[in-house]
Amino acid sequence: MTTPRQNPSASADRGFDGPLERVDECTWRIPKSFRPGMLVDGLIFTDERLIPQLRGDRAPEQVANVACLPGIQTASLAMPDIHWGYGFCIGGVCATDPAAGGVVSPGGVGYDINCGVRLLRTNLTLADVQPVLEPLINQLIRDIPVGVGQGGRHVFSPAELRQLMQEGVPFLGRQGFATADDIACIEAEGCIADAVPGWVSDRALARGADQCGTVGAGNHFIEVQVVDRVADARTAAAFGLHAGQICVLIHSGSRGLGYQVCDDALRSLRDAPAKYGFALPDRQLVCAPVDSPEGRHYLGAMRAAANYAFCNRQLLAWQVREVFARIFGRSWETLGMTLLYDVAHNMAKLETHTVAGGSREVCVHRKGATRAFPAGHPDVPERYRELGQPVIIPGDMGRASWVLVGGPRSLERSFGTTCHGAGRCLSRTAATKAARGRNIQQELATSGIVARCRSREGLAEEQPLAYKDVDIVVEAVHRAGLSSKVARLRPLGVVKG
Amino acid sequence: MYEVFEHTADLGIRAEAPTLGLLLTDAARGLVSVLTGDLAQIRPSHEEHLVIPGIDPVWLLQDWLAELLAAFDVRRMLFCEFDVAVDGQGVSATIRGEPYDPARHRLAHEIKAITLHELDVRQIGPLWQATFIVDI
Repeated sequence: MTTPRQNPSASADRGFDGPLERVDECTWRIPKSFRPGMLVDGLIFTDERLIPQLRGDRAPEQVANVACLPGIQTASLAMPDIHWGYGFCIGGVCATDPAAGGVVSPGGVGYDINCGVRLLRTNLTLADVQPVLEPLINQLIRDIPVGVGQGGRHVFSPAELRQLMQEGVPFLGRQGFATADDIACIEAEGCIADAVPGWVSDRALARGADQCGTVGAGNHFIEVQVVDRVADARTAAAFGLHAGQICVLIHSGSRGLGYQVCDDALRSLRDAPAKYGFALPDRQLVCAPVDSPEGRHYLGAMRAAANYAFCNRQLLAWQVREVFARIFGRSWETLGMTLLYDVAHNMAKLETHTVAGGSREVCVHRKGATRAFPAGHPDVPERYRELGQPVIIPGDMGRASWVLVGGPRSLERSFGTTCHGAGRCLSRTAATKAARGRNIQQELATSGIVARCRSREGLAEEQPLAYKDVDIVVEAVHRAGLSSKVARLRPLGVVKG
Repeated sequence: MYEVFEHTADLGIRAEAPTLGLLLTDAARGLVSVLTGDLAQIRPSHEEHLVIPGIDPVWLLQDWLAELLAAFDVRRMLFCEFDVAVDGQGVSATIRGEPYDPARHRLAHEIKAITLHELDVRQIGPLWQATFIVDI
């Protein structure tokens, strides 16, 4: 096998000056001739307006690196929210064929296994919430664990955690923390099959013991939002959304348990490149054949961590419901706080797709990318099947988020995938510098947004300007046919670590 | 000596020292500074001994930092002083710190892991250099 070029030493200010060939209105190609070792082209879905940002960091180089993974099919893909990650870019998609020696790479899922989002509807309006917005947001940050080092109210023993990871959200249903309706509106109904909790280490169990039902920090949050524009009236109505409606968006993942599952897998794979004869351009791309002891072990543990993440978001939603019930003096059922959908954006899944004219089971890695199956797909919940899978795209805390629906071309173009957010365009250090002398909380308040953050760094690093314009990102996936616009939501209040 | 360098989604740390032991010390200080924002708020009142077997400096760096991260995530221990020796068996270190106290300790970032992306340890002339990126 040809050895791909090794990455030079770290240099954050170096952008990408390699080839980006325009294929169509919203697709650019990095040809596989760009570097030795690439097995397929890189294909990036984006908008012309985002090209300067695309070239501004090293994410396109990572798209090319992923194209070197054994068994990769069709192309190494990236979404318009692409930015520099570790190993895979954020916004990266890669499908490998196990029958062709295809690999699974823990770096293609990331440390935060099944990081994802869920959207709760309410029957409240802006007029209902505006007078109590500040006390509502204050109560959310008081009652719900958010930030570094914040344990949750639910502490699970190792035996309970294993059961939770095996059964997923239905386990919480039996304990009174999830309804049948909730479960029906979660990807895979809140339980990825073939999880093997016994392959999750004791250290991972210890890290996860008191973190199920906690937000965490970084880009995770709880936001109270209002639907400010409906783009597709029929689908919005079927999704139970209408202009002026209050919703709650929750973004979190598998917390310390998932981080440790990934870390353990990477440690166990240190010798895999030599064992399997892989030459990889980045240590973080370390991988093993899907059909190998190491590959099966990782996937079993990853699925267990994914089920933990579904449970984490379920317990967060339950706590949000309790806070709303307290503030509004009515039950959450009366407030209409039902779940629209819960979807992962860091996951590897074995799915059947059409590749080169034939049907194949491939391992689809989505690293900061959202599954977006179109109308009629059997994995779309029955209530949405005629329309397509709901897709939830968090933007930034100052501008907007979106609800989309799986697009007609997603299966043929991106293994049924779309973007996962706005995507960062400023580094954390650059965002902090840009915040000096400013009061981000006050700036947001001037726009009518109540922001509460546990850490000094959180608001500065996560300020709106640190992100691309989500409207442009969403426009790109809409035009590419990966997912279609349904409704735009703007933030009213945000709780962050 | 250590410095934090830019990364779009996460944070990178570059350390430099005359010996591998001092390099691991500085790398640890860099890690805890990203976690807490300020090492000076941690008192060295509690001491532990840590042994990490291995010979490859890159994996020693990752395992060493991962242990410190797990100490916080699992036991809520924050460390600020590190006496590190490296020999043919691995790392032997005495570390000092105290339990996390929300009333006194400010935390800055949740560090998910020490990534392998651009993870590097090398000796250039009289200096050892380490580079690593933490997932935020």
